Amino acid sequence: MKKVKLNNMAVSFVMFIVCVCLMCVMFMQFRTVEETDITDIKNMREAELRKSLAEWKSKYEEVEEQLNNTNQKIKEYNEKIGKSEEAAELIDKELEQSNLAVGKTDVEGEGVVITLKDTEEKDVEGWDLLNLINELKYAGAEAISVNDVRIINTSEIADLGGYSYISVGQQRLEGPYVVKAIGSQAYLSSILNLKDSGYVDQSKSRGIDVKVEPNKKIEIPKYNGEMAYKYLKVEEETK
Amino acid sequence: MNKKQIGITLGIMCLILTFGVTLQIRTMNSASSTASQTLADNELRDSVLKWKEKYDNISEELKRAEKVLEGVRQTATQDNVTASAKEEELKKNQTMLGLTDVKGSGIVIELQDGKLDNSFLTIAEPSKVLVHYEDLLSLVNELRNSGAEAIQINGQRIVNTSAITCEGTVIKINGERIGSPFTIKAIGSQALLYGQITREGSYLNTMKDTGVDVVSVTQEDEITIEKYTGTMNFKYIKSVK
Repeated sequence: MKKVKLNNMAVSFVMFIVCVCLMCVMFMQFRTVEETDITDIKNMREAELRKSLAEWKSKYEEVEEQLNNTNQKIKEYNEKIGKSEEAAELIDKELEQSNLAVGKTDVEGEGVVITLKDTEEKDVEGWDLLNLINELKYAGAEAISVNDVRIINTSEIADLGGYSYISVGQQRLEGPYVVKAIGSQAYLSSILNLKDSGYVDQSKSRGIDVKVEPNKKIEIPKYNGEMAYKYLKVEEETK
Repeated sequence: MNKKQIGITLGIMCLILTFGVTLQIRTMNSASSTASQTLADNELRDSVLKWKEKYDNISEELKRAEKVLEGVRQTATQDNVTASAKEEELKKNQTMLGLTDVKGSGIVIELQDGKLDNSFLTIAEPSKVLVHYEDLLSLVNELRNSGAEAIQINGQRIVNTSAITCEGTVIKINGERIGSPFTIKAIGSQALLYGQITREGSYLNTMKDTGVDVVSVTQEDEITIEKYTGTMNFKYIKSVK
């Protein structure tokens, strides 16, 4: 009888030790599980770092390219100092390039044509155009027009008379709105057509009829208003 | 019988223990890979910094080169009347494109994300008190509508190619992250800008109504707006002859 009791005690003692061991292991387990969570965040950070590295690299390359261009121009001008005829040619070339960017010339190139139409449930609003133009710029559009009105830096969009007219750059337009954008065909249409978050799906869910067509040759007319500024003064560096 | 029971219990315990130990070893392995990852992270961080520095340096260099170019351009064209007129026009174009530092009269708007309080408004729709990219886009549009000639948000000049976007909760302008609080500067007619932006039913006032914290709208006589720091390279547009 006594022997059995002793045996029982031994058993419970062993059991107790085993339990303690198990608990220790479990605790360690919990801790490592927590650590694995941190590992996930670190992975995310790594991806973010890689992204920002790529961004800085591409920005560097862009500036490098521009620096090379500028140095090239300096060299050309230096060669032409004192030869006013040839200098005039150089400035012509530069001005042409800059007029292209400002919107003073008719331009052509590949891109996309987007048509926005009212539907029975929803009219096209100024916001739809504003948002679309913003998306196009994000996707690298180099020239944009709405119903052949060129969008420049100061172009504004406003709703007039409910939503029946939209003014773009102070010109009154009526639907359907045909927005043309010159840039990479593939990139422009892929950004607009992103599933759910893209402009096309978003606008369709707003109830607007939207159509995107890539086009190899789009023509966009120059800005036909006056381009001037009254309040800006160029800051001369004081050094 | 009793011995058999003990044996079985111990056996099961051993099994569980082994299982635990194996798991332990596996997580240890992954932990050591974490250490090497941190090392890789640090290297990455270093090279990000290095490239950023390289970018800063070359940007400075570009700035100097542009000034030199302006100088030689002027010298080369000064003997020729039409050429120097064109040089003037080129300068104006640069200003319109946002490629020069400018100053002038205008307004400065300061706003920031509203605080979540217990009012009915914020409980109903807490995200409304935040400033979204849509808000900035609409504000910029309204400023243009009121004749703004140059606009800048948190140091980012709004140019022809500027997009205002959001990635998750981050707002980006010209591809650069910006966040609350926002300082929006606009050069143009003070009276017109101020009048339009603060009129009843203006976009800014509707933002205020939804709980965004509009700190101030001030008219200032001399606002300085820095030039666009990015590059403008056009690859797809060609002029029609």
